[in-house]
Amino acid sequence: MDIIKQLEKQAEQYEVLRTKNEETSVVYEANKLKTSTVAETSGIAVRVISKGKLGFAASTDAAAVDKLVSNALESASFGEEVPLTFPRQQSANPVKTYDPVVANLPISRLVDVGKEILDLVLATEPDVRCSIYLSRSIQSDSICNQTGLDISFQRTPLSIVVEVDRIVGDDILIMYDGQATTMWEDDYLTFVRNLLDKLKLARKVVTSQGGNMPVLFSPYGTLALTIPLNEGVNGKNVYKGTSPMKGKVGEYLFDAKISLVDDGTLDGKFSSAPYDDEGVPRRRNVLVERGKLNGFLYDLKTAAQFNVESTGSASRSLFNVPQPATTNFIIQPGETGLKAMLKGIDEGIMVESLLGLGQGNVISGAFSNPLSLAFKIEKGEVVGRVKNLSISGNVYSLLKNVAAVSKEAQWVYSTFYAPYILIPEMNVVG
Amino acid sequence: MRNRIEDAIKQSKADYTEIRIEEKETTQISYQGKDLEKLSALNDKGGMVRVLIKNKGWGVATFNNLDDLDTKVDQAYQCAQVASNPEKIELADIEPVDEVVKVQMKYDFRDISLAAKKATVERYNNILRGTSNKIVDTDCTYSDNYSRIYFGNSQGTFIEDERPSVSVRIAAIGREGDNVQVAHEGHAGPFGFEFVMDQDELVRKVANRALELLGAHPVKGGRYPVVVDQNLAGVFIHEAFGHLSESDFVYENPKAQEMMVLGRRFGKDILNVYDDGSIRELRGTTLFDDEGTPGRHNELIREGILVGRLHSRETAAKMAEKATGNARAINYRFAPIVRMTNTAIQNGTTTFADMIKDIKLGIYACDAYGGQTELENFSFSSGYAYMIRDGKIAEMVKDVILAGNLFTTLANIDAIGNDFKWMFSSGGCGKGNQYPLPVGMGAPHIRIQNVVIGGE
Repeated sequence: MDIIKQLEKQAEQYEVLRTKNEETSVVYEANKLKTSTVAETSGIAVRVISKGKLGFAASTDAAAVDKLVSNALESASFGEEVPLTFPRQQSANPVKTYDPVVANLPISRLVDVGKEILDLVLATEPDVRCSIYLSRSIQSDSICNQTGLDISFQRTPLSIVVEVDRIVGDDILIMYDGQATTMWEDDYLTFVRNLLDKLKLARKVVTSQGGNMPVLFSPYGTLALTIPLNEGVNGKNVYKGTSPMKGKVGEYLFDAKISLVDDGTLDGKFSSAPYDDEGVPRRRNVLVERGKLNGFLYDLKTAAQFNVESTGSASRSLFNVPQPATTNFIIQPGETGLKAMLKGIDEGIMVESLLGLGQGNVISGAFSNPLSLAFKIEKGEVVGRVKNLSISGNVYSLLKNVAAVSKEAQWVYSTFYAPYILIPEMNVVG
Repeated sequence: MRNRIEDAIKQSKADYTEIRIEEKETTQISYQGKDLEKLSALNDKGGMVRVLIKNKGWGVATFNNLDDLDTKVDQAYQCAQVASNPEKIELADIEPVDEVVKVQMKYDFRDISLAAKKATVERYNNILRGTSNKIVDTDCTYSDNYSRIYFGNSQGTFIEDERPSVSVRIAAIGREGDNVQVAHEGHAGPFGFEFVMDQDELVRKVANRALELLGAHPVKGGRYPVVVDQNLAGVFIHEAFGHLSESDFVYENPKAQEMMVLGRRFGKDILNVYDDGSIRELRGTTLFDDEGTPGRHNELIREGILVGRLHSRETAAKMAEKATGNARAINYRFAPIVRMTNTAIQNGTTTFADMIKDIKLGIYACDAYGGQTELENFSFSSGYAYMIRDGKIAEMVKDVILAGNLFTTLANIDAIGNDFKWMFSSGGCGKGNQYPLPVGMGAPHIRIQNVVIGGE
């Protein structure tokens, strides 16, 4: 029997999510095209509220609908009462996340793009080992629930990841970067060129004794700051009481140069979609405005717990229940030019990447990490790579006093948009 | 299923073809704080065809619809045509096997009611929450899954493999003002419900540790002699050394081969390290890997010298060595890659008391919170740690992060304990996009001189 008919009979509320993914990918491994893959996967996830209690089940076995329904109902019979109401349909802002060019991209085009990138890398750095992963998908999602909400949308993620290993004697450098969008992007070489520029700059190794000095986080380096902030603005962590920002809405937690936005409605961006994974329209959420905390990110459940509206931030994979999560996370650019920022630094370091981010007690804001790639700044100039340094600090105190935020900003790792951020003084351990 | 797999393989025009079909049932129950966060029943059924055309490359097709395996074999063949490897890709020889792997569970978790499973995890959660009102949040997760895997290849191997796994993961989050601290423990293995039903003691330990961490001061950064407990020592050898012995890292990379050349000294004579998928009833036990190669005992470091490495059939052939049974995939969505199974530092002779008695100022680091390695550089957070003062364990310290260079650090291991233990931690290993893969880790206490500890 049809799954909806079965659910209508047995539950007051239900939600059915159907996902389908068709993906082609090619992998260059150690400068050679090695593997090509076609994946055709699909699944159904069901949430029910039966006798006031929430249940969940999911399956990739399209033939086993009866079992899926009975699993969801059994789950609900042991479930808990939650004040959750599946939403009525709301109209969403148009967001471009489907591109026929990507949808129709033949596997041979992925191969060619990979080859072009590989040739560019090897022309500049003949001794490196380069791996490239290219994939394009057509994702079809549909959500319906007992209110009559019935939405479906398609996305066409296109993703290129480049990893370069360079070993010169005992000097080892691994760098990676990627570009992921949901619209075809003609310019797929600029991020590779930037990566190569950094590799070139890193050839010269200079020494630094460490000590207290200004630290400039490059857009890539700001990841050290965004990872704990992403946790902190998550409504679930606020509900649980673990977010250091809990109870501080309206307070000036950060320097006035800091503004944070989560925006799931940007055309073509990797984490954009018209609706979130519960059928609530995605939107632009201003989280921190000139240092002042405005609010948090909620899905339906956490919104119900706080008696507020969902911010359209529900995210899920097939086998997991929805949770609030960031989409495209933006640190707003500032007013100072990068050149001027550098100019004021007599001796300092620029942080590009850190080893072991996201481990440890992330939510507290504390971090302490070796720098896997950092450059020394001397008398306003970037002079070379510094090795064997580490930094530690707490995001919540570092961002209270920011020397400058750059005008220049860029997308990093596809889902973060960030400027350069200068912290006037940090302890750099040598 | 066997006939369908074998018939489809016969249709293949490729040099090598394999088909892996997986049926997996999962139950997950999770409490967070006072709330039942999740009670899920999941069914995952799907397959993968992987083919090799030697002078071209690998082609892979993954799918949920099992109705037409012949088409999937053809899709994979089309994919393999895309590449071109004039230097042929070869596979190391293995004996074809025809085996059924059965596992005995004392209390098969598929026969345990959802009510009983829920009651168990609820009891653990109540212990955590009842310990103190400073415990503001918890995460108690019970999970079981039972996989049945059918694997066949064009060289006559057919394996039907049962892989059960049961786990509890316990985390307590303590908070005092802005001070937030997390303590956690996991307990997981290829067993039945018996393995997770009486863990009240473990749960109490987690609650008390979270409270103790609230009162701990951050460690002062610097260089210290560090005594590492079995759990962290196991994670260390897995993360910092084990991944470098995975041959997909070295087989296409002459520079990495120089770094990992067999015969190179990695540590003092007391250091012995191995990986062994054939030991039964451990977290990473792999009687047959996902290419059908039997698991075996692989020595990696013997008396301080590098003597071996881990292989898939492809990396073994390329390096003219034998397949070691280390080609593993987390599920049918992924092709197997070189992975560890159960990795361990072999037992030594030093007692714990002897290890700490001459340390004037040092650190006793326990449990791992996570770690990352980039070739020879690593960084690990310990779950909790104590200062060692004048040969005695002293106050607890927090935010202890060990960082350093693998070669220097291994060479600085100057004592190996006589108290070897296998760990049954939950979670698993991540590599590429494949996470979490169940792995076993084992070690005695070890002492490392001159470790860089991050901190304030």
